[in-house]
Amino acid sequence: MIASSQPHPSSDPPTSAREGMLEFRNVRIVYDNAIEAIRDVSIAVPAGGIVGLLGSNGAGKSTLLKAMSGILYTEEGRLENGSISFRGASVDSLAPDELVRRGIVQVPEGRRVFPALTIDENLQMGGYTRSAAEIREQREKVFGLFPRLYERRDQIAGYMSGGEQQMLAIGRALMTRPMLLALDEPSLGLAPLIIDRIYEVIAKLRDELKLTVLLVEQNAQRALDICDYAYILETGRVVLDGPPCKLSANQDVQEFYLGMSGSGRKSMREVKHYKRRKRWLS
Amino acid sequence: MQYLIQLLISGLAVGAIYGLIAMAFAVIYKSTGLVNFAQGEMTMIVAYVAWTISTTISGNVFVVAFGAIVAAVLLGLVIERVVMRPMLGEPVFSTVMVTIGLAVILRSSINFIWDAYPHALDLGVGRHVVRIGSIGVRTGQIAVITTLLLLIAGIWAFFRYSKFGIAMRAVAADDRTALLMGISAPRVHGFAWAASSAIAGIAGVFFAMSYDLSPAMFQLGLKAFPATILGGLDAVLGSGLGGLLIGVTENLAGGYVSSGMKEVAGFLMIIIVLMIRPFGIFGERDIERV
Repeated sequence: MIASSQPHPSSDPPTSAREGMLEFRNVRIVYDNAIEAIRDVSIAVPAGGIVGLLGSNGAGKSTLLKAMSGILYTEEGRLENGSISFRGASVDSLAPDELVRRGIVQVPEGRRVFPALTIDENLQMGGYTRSAAEIREQREKVFGLFPRLYERRDQIAGYMSGGEQQMLAIGRALMTRPMLLALDEPSLGLAPLIIDRIYEVIAKLRDELKLTVLLVEQNAQRALDICDYAYILETGRVVLDGPPCKLSANQDVQEFYLGMSGSGRKSMREVKHYKRRKRWLS
Repeated sequence: MQYLIQLLISGLAVGAIYGLIAMAFAVIYKSTGLVNFAQGEMTMIVAYVAWTISTTISGNVFVVAFGAIVAAVLLGLVIERVVMRPMLGEPVFSTVMVTIGLAVILRSSINFIWDAYPHALDLGVGRHVVRIGSIGVRTGQIAVITTLLLLIAGIWAFFRYSKFGIAMRAVAADDRTALLMGISAPRVHGFAWAASSAIAGIAGVFFAMSYDLSPAMFQLGLKAFPATILGGLDAVLGSGLGGLLIGVTENLAGGYVSSGMKEVAGFLMIIIVLMIRPFGIFGERDIERV
């Protein structure tokens, strides 16, 4: 779907060449036995890196995360084909709590802190599958990462600002002592300065806590600045993948995602381009 | 003055029974977001089981109490597993309709399993009268009020400090996110139904001991539901206190105005309170923040 002046990426060998801590292999996901949300997606998240998953609304990014966390069934979704594996073992039929115990966790879209619980209670819920001693130890780490949470630990989470809630949501996920942390649109609805803070933390998670991060974003600029490898998803398919420098150089990515103007385009080519643009941004 | 105190005491005693059942409503609502319209029927079934134990196995009050609580827990677990869990994720309206259907089935099962006549649950305790000055109080009345207060304190501490208690609040607020944190919502729901059934069962046994056992006992649920609304559906402690408030109001209205007012007074109070605080006296206003 993407025309580019560079060699077309899909002419590369399929992504199964990349091995990962978490791997989606030829995944097809259908909702309600009727709506195909993911067609045939293979994604690998190697240990210790940040992998970006970019795409517009409805591209299927969150669906992949739901499959990863084993909660597709709550929305009548089903993995029809393909497999998901984590550290070499197949995990696509495990219950959500077992996945958390194995070290997979996600910060859901829209943060979803438990509004009536205090910050401390929210963190405790992140540590639900862990022992009391592990909770205490991990809580110290989270407070070290987010001093603001420590200051406000006895306050009701629902009254915090959006940025603080995002930090709490990340802290709560860290309480599960994950190996792989997925973030679903961490910059959604936040002010640019706050987004800077959040992204500083994400970099810290990789560099200091040695976590593997799967970063789902619409905000391609931010994600490409930080990730080591990225996939672009469009209507349930991976249309482009590669290291960020390669994606940033792609003309369509530049225009559709990074907001640079494609000057000098003319005539029929421009019309076709316009149609693609509409598809992308719809 | 003595008349007033006597009215207050019997109001508190019957209010404590409403309060216990109201708390049972609130426990389920707080962790599953559902109103269980079969609560009164579950109360009645447990009371009948207690009566059966007392007439066939042993009339010892501890044996009966233990047997009744075990039966109540089992009843709660079975209902959750067989009837409610398949409804997980379905619209709230359908699920509540299921509890109404369940109520009718449980209600009629009394006639199938037992009979339609009133029985007395006499365990040889609770009917002695203790005199404090010139005021007579039955030991059963003291026991039920004490039980309510102890349970209020216990449940408050449970929801506030225990990991499982906090998890119940988390599941009630957002069960999908709770799943993502590794909290098993079905287990939490099962626990809530068992606990709720046990609390309601205790109320049923106290009621049967002080008054009588009859197939009309399910109406206790209808009396207790307003107490839950009054206290706040999501406020377990408030529901307990709401029960006391309704019991006392009923008795005072019945004693001073007319016995016809007894039925009306509680509901009148609910209407007034809800107009001022639509989420109940102790209920939490939804925190809205985007």
